Amino acid sequence: MAHDLDHKRTGGAPHWKPEDILGTISLKTLLFSDDYRHIALKGILTAFVMLALGGAFAMIFRTELAVPGAQFLGARGYMTLMTLHGMIMVFGFLIPLTISVCYYMLPKVLGNDRLEWPKVAHWSYWVLIVAAVLLVIGRPDFTWTAYAPMSLRVGGSLVWMGHLAILLVAISEFLAGFVLWRNAIAGVTASGGWKMLPMMGWASAVVGLLLIVATIPLGMIGLGLFTDWMEISAWFDPARGGSVKLFLYIFWTYGHPAVYLPFIPAIAILYTLMPRILGRPMWSYWSGVVAFLLLGLFAMPIGPHHFQPLYTISGWYERMIQIFTLLVFIPSVLHVFNWIATLWSDPIPASARASVPFKFMVSSIAFIIYGGATAYVNAQIATDSDFIHNTYWIPAHFHAMFFGFAGQMAFAGFYYLFPYFTGRMYNQKMANSHFWLWQIGLFTKITMMFVAGYAYFPRWVYDYLPLQEWMMPQMMITAAGYLIGLGFIIFVYNVAVSARRGQKAPNEPWPVEQDGAVPSAAPAE
Amino acid sequence: MTITIGITVLGLVGLALALFMEKRWRLTYNIEYLFIAGLLVMAFYGDWVSTKIYTAYQEDLRASETLSGTLVSDDDRDEKFDRILTVVTFQWGFAFITEENELSRNAAIVMPGERVLFRVVTNDVIHGFNIPVAGITAEIDPGDVRELWIRAPQTPGKYLIQCVNYCGVGHTQMKAWLVVEGDVPTAEMNIGENNNGA
Repeated sequence: MAHDLDHKRTGGAPHWKPEDILGTISLKTLLFSDDYRHIALKGILTAFVMLALGGAFAMIFRTELAVPGAQFLGARGYMTLMTLHGMIMVFGFLIPLTISVCYYMLPKVLGNDRLEWPKVAHWSYWVLIVAAVLLVIGRPDFTWTAYAPMSLRVGGSLVWMGHLAILLVAISEFLAGFVLWRNAIAGVTASGGWKMLPMMGWASAVVGLLLIVATIPLGMIGLGLFTDWMEISAWFDPARGGSVKLFLYIFWTYGHPAVYLPFIPAIAILYTLMPRILGRPMWSYWSGVVAFLLLGLFAMPIGPHHFQPLYTISGWYERMIQIFTLLVFIPSVLHVFNWIATLWSDPIPASARASVPFKFMVSSIAFIIYGGATAYVNAQIATDSDFIHNTYWIPAHFHAMFFGFAGQMAFAGFYYLFPYFTGRMYNQKMANSHFWLWQIGLFTKITMMFVAGYAYFPRWVYDYLPLQEWMMPQMMITAAGYLIGLGFIIFVYNVAVSARRGQKAPNEPWPVEQDGAVPSAAPAE
Repeated sequence: MTITIGITVLGLVGLALALFMEKRWRLTYNIEYLFIAGLLVMAFYGDWVSTKIYTAYQEDLRASETLSGTLVSDDDRDEKFDRILTVVTFQWGFAFITEENELSRNAAIVMPGERVLFRVVTNDVIHGFNIPVAGITAEIDPGDVRELWIRAPQTPGKYLIQCVNYCGVGHTQMKAWLVVEGDVPTAEMNIGENNNGA
């Protein structure tokens, strides 16, 4: 059923060849080169450092939460780690990783072999690094949402660094938006028009625009909090005439689209990998394009479903938010439908079944179904006002979508790219161990978070009552966290060893083989 | 919740079949229109059910306008409730004030089966107000008076009330009890017996 042009649209340019970029690169080149591969690798490696940092923080506070009672972290220490975990994972790991993988793939898919506006990409990177440093030094404890006026009254004398970090994150993402948008436009020219633009080009256009538009309110939040804290202004502090609702509406105008900032690039990675690994085009090109456009369109107006002051305004406005939130379900499901239809159309090649990127891809689809289906109840005001609002149900939902889907899809992209920037294959056994540890850990963690949320376990607490319905899930979430941590350690070891001593990658690292032949990603010797 | 579980199972089974079934299908594009129609019906059904439930809940309150867009009359509203409590949320606790201006910190004392109206305010930052046994969760913003009602449990005992919005370092400790009085006086209740009532 697929259109003949779809082969072209998946970006079949012949310049995908394994190279040993990582082994021959100097630190100076890695940090300052304008080559798209170096820019992308810099972003990818930094994102892994951020993941290690954010993950280590999670290990510490999950240990605290394993059993009720205060163990070794006080409230302030716990909330600082929790805040840094949230901010580093979203702003430092997930969004940069998915975008960096796109930076690597986009010029290859478009066939122009260069990233437009590399200097802007550099600025985006360095501004984010400054933001991360400020966050770690400032150690704010106001969570990633930084709700005013609470965020103006906590955190000690360095809390302003947290406010400034938010502003810098906004600038960094704003610049990344321009890079993606500019490259999508370049892709239109290179491909011969919008109708020929590969899916990753469409995704870059949509997420680029979203980044440009949505980060302006985030910048306003960072700047407003900073000037309010300095007592230059009083935008968000009701004690001095400011408005909390102003804060909430501005923040969530960024906050909801923020969900799509890693989500759309992750979907784009999937659309790029699936046809290559299966050796056939996607079931429908236009279904995917329309779904991207609808996701971008619905992302902006539905932010208010994240908070409840809507009850103070017109019931009809509140209801429209509910309806639009329910409708945003549709483009996401269209993507999933497209993927499953593509999988179903022809036999799955034996080479695909054996490859680790394919395994992560399939698991990502499973998690988007698992986490995404709960969006249906999250969107409804009646259930939100019962057990959902700010209970563990919410982190369960976004861990499934963020980590289960977007994070794992970025790892699928990384494993796929590995031979292209090391010239070698990863160790299959270790990669499989990484995969299975993560699946067991993620499924257990997310499921137990749903269970705890359904029993009204509140977010952001370092201690809790010894209730049976709370203790078992908390213990299991902690155990699952250790499994995920172990999986990551194996991944890092695998990358470090295989990049130097892995089996040499063949010219075509991912041949499509139907007959169960030896997979391309054979164990390293 | 049934629909959510249904979608999850359907999606995962579809994925598993696409991976492991020997038979292969090339779906026609028309099937997607049917699929979208199904999703639209599901979305509007979700809106209808949620609105119905929430509007029914709101009908006893002095809300300016419910989700259904119908204005709610204030007539004899107070007669609908056996008890009205003003709740002041603050960093970090709850103060419950009766109509007789009696104040109780971190304990709302009610009788079994009573219809109780809470008028909740905050005097500092955004707080949450959650009573698991009653199935209500609300966010309270500075400057607002939020009205919520519950029917108290029939069984005497202590039921958890907690803040669910992060409100500063004392957030974890921001808890109170819905005390449903019975034959045993409140003072003699087993303090160690916790119940979130969920």
